[in-house]
Amino acid sequence: MGSSAKKKKEKQKDFTKAKLKVGKAKGKPENFTDTSFKSKGIVLNQQSLTLNAPTSNTQFTHHVSLLSSKSDSQRRDSLAHLTTSISSRPVNSPLPQPVSVILPTLLPLILDANTGVRTQLLKLFRALPQSDIRDHVPQLLPYIRAGMTHLAADIRVSAVEVLSWLIDVAGTEVVSSAGGWIKTLNCFLSVLGWHTEESAKWSANRASFGKSGAKGQPMMKVLTVLAEFLNAGIGAPANEAQDVDMLGSGGVAGWEFPLCQTAVHMVPDTAAPYAYLNLFGQPRDEEGEMYETWEDRYRVFSNRFLRAIQRGLENARQEGGEMGRASSGASKVLKEAVAYGTGIADRDIVSSHDSTSRGTSIHDLEPKE
Amino acid sequence: MVKRKLGALEKVEADLPNLQHKIRRDPKSYIEDFRAQHYQYESHREIFMAAPTSATDTGIISLRELIDFVAHVADCYPDITKDFSQQLMDILTQHHLVLEPELREKIVGSLVLLRKKELLDSATLLQTLFPILITTPSKTLRALIFQKILMDLRSSNAKTTNHKLNRTMQTVLYNLVTSDRVSSKGLWAIKLIRELWKRQIWSDAKTVEVMKEASLSENEKVIIGGVRFFLGGDQEREEMEDESSDEEAIDLGKVKHQVGINKKTRKKSRAVEKAKATVKRKERKKNQPHPLNFSALHLLHDPQGFAEALFSKHLQNSKSKLNLEQKLQVLQLVTRLVGLHKLHIMQLYSYFQKYLTPRQPSVTSFLASLAQASHDLVPPDVLEPLIQKIANEFVSEASASLVATAGLNAIREICARQPLAMNETLLQDLVMYRKSKDKGVVMAARGLLGLYRDLNPEMLKRRDRGKEASIGLRSGEKKEKRFGEEETGGIEGLELLEQWKEEERKKKRAEKGLPSDAEDGEDEEDEAADWDAWNVEDDEDSDDSGGWIDVQSDAEIDLSDSDDEKDARPSKKAKQGAYNEENANSETAQDKTEAQKPNIATIATTRILTPADLAKLQELRTQAAVDALVPGAKGRRGQTNASRHKDDPLTAEEIEGLAALSAGKATREERIAHAKEGKTDRAEHKSITAKRKERKEEQGKSTTNKEKARRKNIFMTLGKARNKNKRSLVETRNILKAHQDRQKRGGRRGNNG
Repeated sequence: MGSSAKKKKEKQKDFTKAKLKVGKAKGKPENFTDTSFKSKGIVLNQQSLTLNAPTSNTQFTHHVSLLSSKSDSQRRDSLAHLTTSISSRPVNSPLPQPVSVILPTLLPLILDANTGVRTQLLKLFRALPQSDIRDHVPQLLPYIRAGMTHLAADIRVSAVEVLSWLIDVAGTEVVSSAGGWIKTLNCFLSVLGWHTEESAKWSANRASFGKSGAKGQPMMKVLTVLAEFLNAGIGAPANEAQDVDMLGSGGVAGWEFPLCQTAVHMVPDTAAPYAYLNLFGQPRDEEGEMYETWEDRYRVFSNRFLRAIQRGLENARQEGGEMGRASSGASKVLKEAVAYGTGIADRDIVSSHDSTSRGTSIHDLEPKE
Repeated sequence: MVKRKLGALEKVEADLPNLQHKIRRDPKSYIEDFRAQHYQYESHREIFMAAPTSATDTGIISLRELIDFVAHVADCYPDITKDFSQQLMDILTQHHLVLEPELREKIVGSLVLLRKKELLDSATLLQTLFPILITTPSKTLRALIFQKILMDLRSSNAKTTNHKLNRTMQTVLYNLVTSDRVSSKGLWAIKLIRELWKRQIWSDAKTVEVMKEASLSENEKVIIGGVRFFLGGDQEREEMEDESSDEEAIDLGKVKHQVGINKKTRKKSRAVEKAKATVKRKERKKNQPHPLNFSALHLLHDPQGFAEALFSKHLQNSKSKLNLEQKLQVLQLVTRLVGLHKLHIMQLYSYFQKYLTPRQPSVTSFLASLAQASHDLVPPDVLEPLIQKIANEFVSEASASLVATAGLNAIREICARQPLAMNETLLQDLVMYRKSKDKGVVMAARGLLGLYRDLNPEMLKRRDRGKEASIGLRSGEKKEKRFGEEETGGIEGLELLEQWKEEERKKKRAEKGLPSDAEDGEDEEDEAADWDAWNVEDDEDSDDSGGWIDVQSDAEIDLSDSDDEKDARPSKKAKQGAYNEENANSETAQDKTEAQKPNIATIATTRILTPADLAKLQELRTQAAVDALVPGAKGRRGQTNASRHKDDPLTAEEIEGLAALSAGKATREERIAHAKEGKTDRAEHKSITAKRKERKEEQGKSTTNKEKARRKNIFMTLGKARNKNKRSLVETRNILKAHQDRQKRGGRRGNNG
């Protein structure tokens, strides 16, 4: 039998003992794996071999660089370190690194997958000096909006929390920055699912995708932040009283036409006074435009969003429970805004009858019924 | 932080491919989710546009994935995504230099996807991609974009020719080539056109115009690209066509049979449908008329101007940067144009003068080009010094046999095109080389001899003329063709048809027992029969051959050179006797030819060819072509290759031609290869049984019981064999009986009912 003999031989081969000889290298075992490799150069990572402990400043920079680390816990710990080092620094001393340097590395973490990282990030944000944040709102907002429309529900929630903080810190900047009004409102509508009439109904087929936490707590959170946002944008302004008394009593307002609006003709005292001219950026469309005055925002709001939000709030109220309670805050703001809007319009009509000092007529600001 | 229980589930749910799948099934329900993702994409785009260079991977979902997602479902929500394609194009055109490769590829892919979904029109897509193709430094991106552009052009021309798109694209390419003649960007135009030409998507004059401009550019790469297109583009196209036509044929019967036997699934039935459709398409294709494709050289508007420009710009110009090889290619193109269109560029011939020495590198190419450049309208006195020079430099007893062969071949090729360029003394001198010792030289010289026997036997010495030529001379049939004389046109292969008809008539008459030559009224009957058979039936057009073509099996090499020697051998008396006879014979022959000649000339005018006639004519033509290819067939070796088409180029190999014979003894392999050259492919020699077995295995059929028994492992049969010895007589008897019984019944199962 040819084949069988051959097989026998092959079998035998496995059991033959390799002879060891003096002066010859030992044969390689059967399961030997060649791990050698060729390289043009070998690079050793540099180690710092200084005896002195690193200064707090260098540590701070080091931890900033660690924020883009792959491991979740590393990122979280670095954030914690940054938070403590910022909050524990002596009063009135500047930050180890300016906000404009830290912020670009912090922003992507708004969309971080890990919950711990995101909560820690919010803590860090809260520790940052408020005045520094105001100039960086246009950078923050796109990330927050991206977070608000994220597929994962808890990223959405934490993005809303970040937005709440930002409104606290720099409410007017948020609503008047480029794209800050319309785009953010759009995001709110999509988080709440209030875009169309059909989808806003409580009985609607909520074939929601990836919205595991869409009920209860998170929804309430979103509603309260929406109320804050609306308040910052079109809520009855707090400085209205001042305005009124400027109009009413003597003061500057009593003066002749160009003098009564002196403040308007001065160079504004914001960081980027001519941002609305958009000299260097991409051309903006309607959604990306800046709406700096209350009137602009109210006009846009009443044209585009008022009906949808009213409808949504009504439905939320009907749903009752915590949702209903949460919605009441928002509806209160809305009511005030509408009342104030119509009030202004009325007053405007009157004033335009009275005098020609105010050139702008705001008929078109009235919500369309 | 306590881990939330939902985490894992959420992660599974919350991926874009899953959402994409759900949206595909029910776009209406998921509109809110899509809107959210679209906002997400918008914000990411905003982030990206703010700082395109610092490409940070933002969290779990990157811009790339979002673009992919939106592009895939864009057709479900056209109103939400109406700006999407424009945004992608903006990103690509503005930032393609700094984009990370993956994102860049994704954007290109998404744009093509949008094009496929008809959300974007071809012109816009091409206008976006083409500038990037030219400017980008990235090789991978260029390859990708090139492929996509090509694909888009193909698909938009698939059903009907999209003239509008083609025209805009051709204009873009033309401008690309002509706008900046120094840069090598024109190479992209060449690459694209070459590919489209190959696939017969673009085959019009405008395309050729672009290539013409390319070959007149300043950049070497572009020049050579253009020149190569003219030299090889059409060949490439033909090869491509051949490839596509002989795809594996589908055996519909087999497919149907298999479906009948195997398990019936939807997949299988779909396969059958597909096979049916393919077969149907093929049938339709077969019946379609062959598309008229002119070669690029024929589509040129102004060949004279083009050839002159090429010659003066690249060859005569001393500042031209081309190297010898490139110059040769340009020269080939110029000479092909000259030969094909019968152009006149007089400087061209004096240009050749300095290159015609055996020491010149790749001189055979120069010789081939010269031969190509000569046609019957070139003044003979321009060519004569060149021939003289070739004869002086190449053909002498002192020069190597290879060189002499090449020279003789070149002279033959030139003279085949312009016979008047040769003078008598030189010709007679050159013909003497057929007595050389070297086989290659002998063959080349014989070639020249044969050529002049055919064209102008008067120039040869009397004893070199041969029988046919002498007869032709005497009858006045063979005359020197004068300069500029044109032959009257005819139908190719008509004389073959006539010959065949004559033979048929003779056969018929022989059957009837009539003298073969007599004229009678049968012709009319024949004709009537022909008219009855006006329509070509399948069995009629190839009645005897049935698709096969007869190949002359053993045609002997019949060099007429030898027969005059034969004539010379017989004794004088016999010769004289023979001479008389010959005279008489020749006279009768002369009469016959005289009688036949008008017949051949008038067949096209006296009769209307029926479709059956035309079919037969086609058949005869192909047979003649095949005969010409068979080794040993008359007229193949010696004379200029008759089967060669006028458009085909003359190559250096043809000039070297038989030089291979002089190169010394060929190796065994070479000889075998040479012998096999003309033979058709033949499988390995095998017995019939082996062949059958092989065929069976190929078709996937199983083995017979006999075969199974033969292959059975011997250990399995050993026991039985041993038992056989121990059987008792009774047992043996019973077994034998049972066997006999079984045989009668026809097997264990009983085969006879």
